[in-house]
Amino acid sequence: MRSLLIRCYPARWRARYGEEFAAILEERPLGPFDVADILLGALDAQLRLRGRRSDIQQGRGFSMSLRIGGLAAILGGAVFALGVVLGIGIVGNVEPVVPEILFVTGSLALLVALAGLSAFQARVHPFLSWAAVAITAAGTIVAIGGIVGLQLVAEEYWMAFILGTLGAFVGSTLFAIATFRTAALSRGAALLLGVSSILTIGAGQGGNILGPIPLVVTTLGFAVGWFMLGINAVRLDRPASEARPA
Amino acid sequence: MERKIPEFGRFAEPSLLILVSLSDGPKHGYAIMQDVEGGTGRPMGAGTLYAALARLEEQGLVEPLPPVDRRRPYRLTAVGASNLAEQLRGLSEFAQMGLRQLGKPPP
Repeated sequence: MRSLLIRCYPARWRARYGEEFAAILEERPLGPFDVADILLGALDAQLRLRGRRSDIQQGRGFSMSLRIGGLAAILGGAVFALGVVLGIGIVGNVEPVVPEILFVTGSLALLVALAGLSAFQARVHPFLSWAAVAITAAGTIVAIGGIVGLQLVAEEYWMAFILGTLGAFVGSTLFAIATFRTAALSRGAALLLGVSSILTIGAGQGGNILGPIPLVVTTLGFAVGWFMLGINAVRLDRPASEARPA
Repeated sequence: MERKIPEFGRFAEPSLLILVSLSDGPKHGYAIMQDVEGGTGRPMGAGTLYAALARLEEQGLVEPLPPVDRRRPYRLTAVGASNLAEQLRGLSEFAQMGLRQLGKPPP
């Protein structure tokens, strides 16, 4: 995987930095954050060496950061919760495709969040971090296929959509476990996210005598968990001037 | 006042963090990443590090040293040290102005 990532950089760049860059990548396990950051760095190098970007004075390049992950977490959690509220029909009738699209949009945002917020977790729990991203990504693809099938083919694709959407909750649970264990972000928020994700999977099974209320409550917990982790990450990604002493 | 806020934002850039990390002596890439993460609590990916290092080298603010076991140390140049000092002074002046406006005299 490491050599594949290095090959994403231009040949001229590899000739100058390739050897030392490879040595750095061997220093610790690569997590989703690192891979996303390297891919953005490769894109930056490709554009820069082709002369398409000239902002070298500011040292601004493409990079993955806690801030991007945090903002995606806030957005993803909120969009998911909105999808549930609209989907169960407690605020009036909306076209079924609206909550379906919200779920997929939320899943895509959570994928960015999972990559952006997993930098420290992946060094201790690389398997959990990668599994969280992989399951959410696979679920998103299945959910998109489900939506397309629902719109174009038949109602039977509903199950594919539901199973795909569950991927985001399973992925969130794994991410919450890794985050809680490493205390890389707020453990309280990670606990809330993990518990609410598991309860949402249970509440979504149907047949509950309380109707949609448990699903709404657990999904709101899910959204609040992501929101708190997102705020936590954005605060951590403060300017260097506010950095704590080493 | 409004003209200084964007400059303040620039201080969060990886290049400044790298310059500060190199201010106490030469370091190779992984040591810079560890230094930045230890000092700020924020992760720095290898892609970001080398995107910034390449720019800093291009501007003559850092220079590479001969590699040791595939790891290549970098050090601040005289221009880099001067540039860093200028940026930190600007930040310090900005912080003092803000504290005065808040009615809290700088220490």
